[in-house]
Amino acid sequence: MTASLTSGERLALLERMLLMRRFEEEVISAAAAHKYIGRNHLYIGHEAVGGPALIQLGARDVTHSTHRNHGHMIARGVDPGKALAEIMGRVGGLCGGRGGTWHMTDPTKGFGSTSAMVGGSIGMSVGAGFARKQQGEGVSVALFGDGVLDEGISYEALNYCSKFSLPVLFLCENNSQEGAHITSMLAAKRLTDVPASLDIETHVVDGSDAEAVHETVRQALAKIRADSCPIFIETQLARWPGSHQMRPEHTTGVTDVTLAWDETRIAGEHDDWVRSHDPIRKYAAKLLSSGAATKDGLLAIDARVKEQMAAARAYAEASPFPPAQTALENVFA
Amino acid sequence: MARKTFATGMLDALGHSLQQDPSVAVFGAWSFIVGRGLPAEQEEAFFEKYGDRLIDPPTSESVIAAMATGAAVCGMRPFVNFGTSSFAFEAWNQIINETGNARFMSNGQLKAPLVFHMYCGIRGGGAAQHSQSPQSMFANAPGLELVMPSTPADAQGLLRTAIKSDNPTIFLTHTKLLQWMGDTPDGDFATPFGKADVKRAGRDITVVATSLMVREALTAAETLAKEGIEIEIVDPRTIVPLDTAAICASVEKTGRLLVAEEAVATCSIASEIITIVAEHALHALKAPPVRVARPSAPLAYAPTLEKVVTPDAEKIVAAVRRMLTK
Ligand SMILES: Cc1ncc(C[n+]2csc(CCOP(=O)(O)OP(=O)(O)O)c2C)c(N)n1
Ligand SMILES: [Mg+2]
Repeated sequence: MTASLTSGERLALLERMLLMRRFEEEVISAAAAHKYIGRNHLYIGHEAVGGPALIQLGARDVTHSTHRNHGHMIARGVDPGKALAEIMGRVGGLCGGRGGTWHMTDPTKGFGSTSAMVGGSIGMSVGAGFARKQQGEGVSVALFGDGVLDEGISYEALNYCSKFSLPVLFLCENNSQEGAHITSMLAAKRLTDVPASLDIETHVVDGSDAEAVHETVRQALAKIRADSCPIFIETQLARWPGSHQMRPEHTTGVTDVTLAWDETRIAGEHDDWVRSHDPIRKYAAKLLSSGAATKDGLLAIDARVKEQMAAARAYAEASPFPPAQTALENVFA
Repeated sequence: MARKTFATGMLDALGHSLQQDPSVAVFGAWSFIVGRGLPAEQEEAFFEKYGDRLIDPPTSESVIAAMATGAAVCGMRPFVNFGTSSFAFEAWNQIINETGNARFMSNGQLKAPLVFHMYCGIRGGGAAQHSQSPQSMFANAPGLELVMPSTPADAQGLLRTAIKSDNPTIFLTHTKLLQWMGDTPDGDFATPFGKADVKRAGRDITVVATSLMVREALTAAETLAKEGIEIEIVDPRTIVPLDTAAICASVEKTGRLLVAEEAVATCSIASEIITIVAEHALHALKAPPVRVARPSAPLAYAPTLEKVVTPDAEKIVAAVRRMLTK
């Protein structure tokens, strides 16, 4: 279907998305085993946004993220061991245990500061766009939830980018489609009405469809690079049933890749999410039915991912807590 | 006397206020009321009785602060629950430039009777952005009353006064105090602002402590009592207005002053209290005053880094011992 993805790239994308999922499953298990304080906002259910969008970025492209940042880190190829160690508050973590779950960053992979304030990073994405435009190479990608449109700064950020033609991709993960956990209260009929009213090109895409997101982002990035302009993409997501919990559990069970070809075994309280919305299962099933993947191939991918996560876990657990006497370091440059 | 938690004490004060004054309206009601330890039927009763005055706004702190101020000037008495205090930083301009200045700039023609409630302090794993202690930032802005209760009774009585007050009031609840149990007077009552409370009498050292630090000082007092050291714990309860007379009177008695505060020491409430004592009761001091507060660095996520900078009973005990052996 997507001319721009080779079958090797399609499998690599699925593997990255599965790593994002298994990473979060490890985060849940580590919290349950009381290996750290265990308050998180997990990325489960968003893999078909961060995965295909961020896997396309180059070394000069800058991303800014939010409280729901774990998947963004893994999608851009951050070391999962270092990311897990950070969430566990260990010295071997991405930020030496200082930032934790909410403030992970890895500038070597193109991340700026990650904020846990709603609207905390969207403005910094504008600055990254300004810098890259001045420097002549690279673009900025603002990652944020629908809730950010509640905050006034989102309007200021969009307006500024539009007025000054800054190369910024606004990638909104809208998980407030329906249900009990709505994270925004927008009076506009459509979320994209807001950027559209500021003369910004907008797109809406199904956030559980990895290749649709890949293609929409691919075209947007090409245009942003060529024309230096902002583009706003709203990805629409069904909220993962465990996403509102501050101490998340394996709400929909540990991911079972065999459900990609055996739907009859989907069960449990949240079977509907697994059947209709789980982006990993959806993409694996699609690759199978299109002949891009085989069952054995999928099992082999999963085995590799599990091995990678076992190594990540071992690294994180072996890393000690940072020594108390370093508490005042790195306040100033 | 009734035994209740800090959280339910505040809810009782809010309930009495809503019942007696139709101009009271709550912004950010759900997270203030739900899951705070009320029996389910009382929780429901809140929403049944006062539903039209319990509002859950968008995540728009700036306009919430501004509209509360605008509504207050027009005769309402808004109670705003911002959640974590750092969220209120989004509304800094509104709170400092508009709310705090409204009365003065109008030469007393306007008043803004409202409460800005926030959860503050080091909560455990909150990292730099979710562990803020903004008390001295607010104390530094003229025109805002500042309340920092430490017990369920004070939480209830001071919140009642805050809602009745004709001034804008910042009400800081330390997250770790929410489930603290205590004896509370029966029925509806209000505790006056500007009246310190001696939480424990003692002869050797005056320990001025606010909010969670009162609890830490009480724990420290137990340890020190076994060594024959009696600390006097003075809880100002409100920082603006501040009961300087009570603090100075205690220092006149003990001759020594320690201020325990969770915020960064630089330009803190602790700095202010020591300055006031230096100005008014320097003659009474037998030793230099001491601050037990945080060094000037953002708070880290890792538990080892968090613990070493967090003011607590242990650090109060150590500081008291040092003061007395010098
Ligand atoms: C300024 C600010 N206000 C309130 C909060 C509390 N808060 C944490 S997550 C959240 C919802 C955010 O929704 P959204 O941006 O859509 O992200 P989601 O969690 O849905 O992925 C809120 C209100 C906050 N972190 N920062
Ligand atoms: Mg959302």
